[in-house]
Amino acid sequence: MHTSALEKETNTVSNPRAKVTATYQAARTVLSILVSAGLLVAAGASPVEKTIETTPNPRISLGNIQGQVVVKGWNKSVVHATWSTASPRVEVDEEAAPPDGPAERVRFSTHALDPSVTGHDSAADYRLEVPLNSSVEIRNPQGLVQVENLQGDTTVESVGGKISVADIAGHLSVRSVGGDIEIARPSGRVEAYSITGNLHFISPTSRKIRGTTTSGKITYEGDFAPGGDYSLSAYSGDLDVFCPANASFELNAKSVRGRLENSFPITPKRHAPPPPSAGFSLFGTSNSGTATVELTSYRGTIRIRRLP
Amino acid sequence: MSPQNKVAAKAVSETQLVRRAQKGDEEAFASLFEAHKRRVYSLCLRMTGNTAEAEDLTQEAFLQLFRKISTFRGESAFSTWLHRLAVNVVLMHLRKKGLQQISLDEPETSQEEPVKRDYGDDDRRLLGSVDRIGLEKAIAELPQGYRTVFVLHDVEGYEHNEIAEIMNCSVGNSKSQLHKARLKLREWLREDRRRTQPQSLATSASPQDER
Amino acid sequence: MANEGLLRTDECRRFDAELGPYLEGEGRPFVPAHATQCRFCEVVLADLEAIRSAGRALPLEGPSPAVWANVRANLRAEGIIHEPVSLWQQWLGSNGFLRTHAPLGALTALLVFAVVLLNTSRRPPHSPGTDFAGGEKVVSASIGLPDQQQLETTLLELETSFRAREATLDPALKAAYIRGLESLNESIRECSESVRRQPENTLARQYLLSAYTQKAEILETALEFDAH
Repeated sequence: MHTSALEKETNTVSNPRAKVTATYQAARTVLSILVSAGLLVAAGASPVEKTIETTPNPRISLGNIQGQVVVKGWNKSVVHATWSTASPRVEVDEEAAPPDGPAERVRFSTHALDPSVTGHDSAADYRLEVPLNSSVEIRNPQGLVQVENLQGDTTVESVGGKISVADIAGHLSVRSVGGDIEIARPSGRVEAYSITGNLHFISPTSRKIRGTTTSGKITYEGDFAPGGDYSLSAYSGDLDVFCPANASFELNAKSVRGRLENSFPITPKRHAPPPPSAGFSLFGTSNSGTATVELTSYRGTIRIRRLP
Repeated sequence: MSPQNKVAAKAVSETQLVRRAQKGDEEAFASLFEAHKRRVYSLCLRMTGNTAEAEDLTQEAFLQLFRKISTFRGESAFSTWLHRLAVNVVLMHLRKKGLQQISLDEPETSQEEPVKRDYGDDDRRLLGSVDRIGLEKAIAELPQGYRTVFVLHDVEGYEHNEIAEIMNCSVGNSKSQLHKARLKLREWLREDRRRTQPQSLATSASPQDER
Repeated sequence: MANEGLLRTDECRRFDAELGPYLEGEGRPFVPAHATQCRFCEVVLADLEAIRSAGRALPLEGPSPAVWANVRANLRAEGIIHEPVSLWQQWLGSNGFLRTHAPLGALTALLVFAVVLLNTSRRPPHSPGTDFAGGEKVVSASIGLPDQQQLETTLLELETSFRAREATLDPALKAAYIRGLESLNESIRECSESVRRQPENTLARQYLLSAYTQKAEILETALEFDAH
């Protein structure tokens, strides 16, 4: 349909001004085809595929400039990597150590061949399948990072891109400046920090979670593990906690200038710690209070509600 | 440079490397590793008989060393400190694996044990030159305590007073265990020769027939 | 083998008893002397000497390169080996600034700067792309931090470095950094005011310190990404 529209445009040109207009419209049509198909501009190299034999628990590191990074764990002692660059002005280096035999460390990095390259031209997209027990470290300033199904430790750093991680059993550390962070079903220790991005925790089974944002929001949906330690802090954004009716935790919620809205059955403690000199606080237990939950906000609203 | 000066120069440069490593200098760490890796690895390999275990233990020994390097004050030579640590790492590993060890604190009994002899024709034959592979296999067959002392002394060149310090035993015990280890190796090597050279037959000559 | 295990003579027994010390270098002349008399004992002595020599001749073996790679990786991860110094850290070092890691230097600098902010009058909010250090400097009441002046200088230099590189940043990245820094500056201003009015407000103080830490981290990240 787009092609036939293009043909119509070019075949009906009869005067110079219309010709310019038609050419311009044709170019826009081509560009929209490419953009809507989600393809990188094809000035760069075609996708490269590489398979590297590894030990069952290799360390994988990836440093990108911008682009999409997708990493998934699988049940093979092999790293299968596919990447494509947006332009020939950037290149991907790949290194495995040791050079002979199954690799214990694999490193991918994008570097600019032309120091003046910016914007979309510096993009590289990656897709990696890695052994389940891999430790993974990703730095991707711009663009989506998606990590799934790993049992090793995972570290993700971004500036503006969204980070989405799911089913990570190892120690998870996620940092972003402006990107949103979504963490689903983690079971290991979690640290998540964003300045302006939002944090969203979904069904965690971790026993230790730290989440901090300055102007973003925090949403926590799930239970608290017995003996767990949870600390969520927002500065100006709201903090929403949704947990099941039988959630058992000791709560310490405080805010300097924000509000507390609690519709969860919490028994206030008689001997609560002194509240901040200004603001609000709520200190109490839900059920037997086996987990420790600390919620703080400077001027956002803290809400604690039952999961629907 | 004379041998003594070479040794002194090496010690000085190693001291400098250690100081640089104490400040976190990666090159210094790399140099120290390079200088000592073969001795540590060989030690681990001969004490475990397994290359994968030996590499893991080598790695662990260096990691423990480098983590503690800030505490090294030069009371002993750096290499002694390292190898002592490596031996401890290996011994801990072996203990965890539950391998039976012969305590080096056994009372000396070697003076009373007779050396076994098989008074046959074969017993008059020397082992000849001991091949490396045969010896490596024989070392791997030794009970752990004997193996440790033999490797430290005859392979790695430790003196008995050093072994005694490392293994926390007496010098006398170290010497006694070494002798037993060598005798065991001899037994194994001769047995191995009999297995591989079937044409060497043992005859039943009586002792009185000799000389 | 009726005679297996039996010693030939008392001399052989004595030979056995002294063999070990002889091989350890102790003076036991009986051992070599008897060996010339007794073929069997001569063989035993020769065998043990051969084994001793062979042991010493065993070559040293080396581990695979993976061992050092793993050791180095662990030491780096534990901070025992220092990471190669990035460009802006070299610049700081060459200018005689603090030789500690930049976040530590930046954090302590920012803590001092917080003291400065705590004691300054209200500032007008700044617009995007302008001075992150904020307006005028007022001589602050010292809170007893050593080298306060130097730390303030370090902080300003740190932010100057960032500003100098700001123009070279990718526009989208730059926008993300600026938004982040503005958000933190807003929280710094607010918390500083709270702490100024209510010095006992521990929560505000915690937020203030946290904001400074995060600001140091953002600046470090921005300069690291740019250095690459």
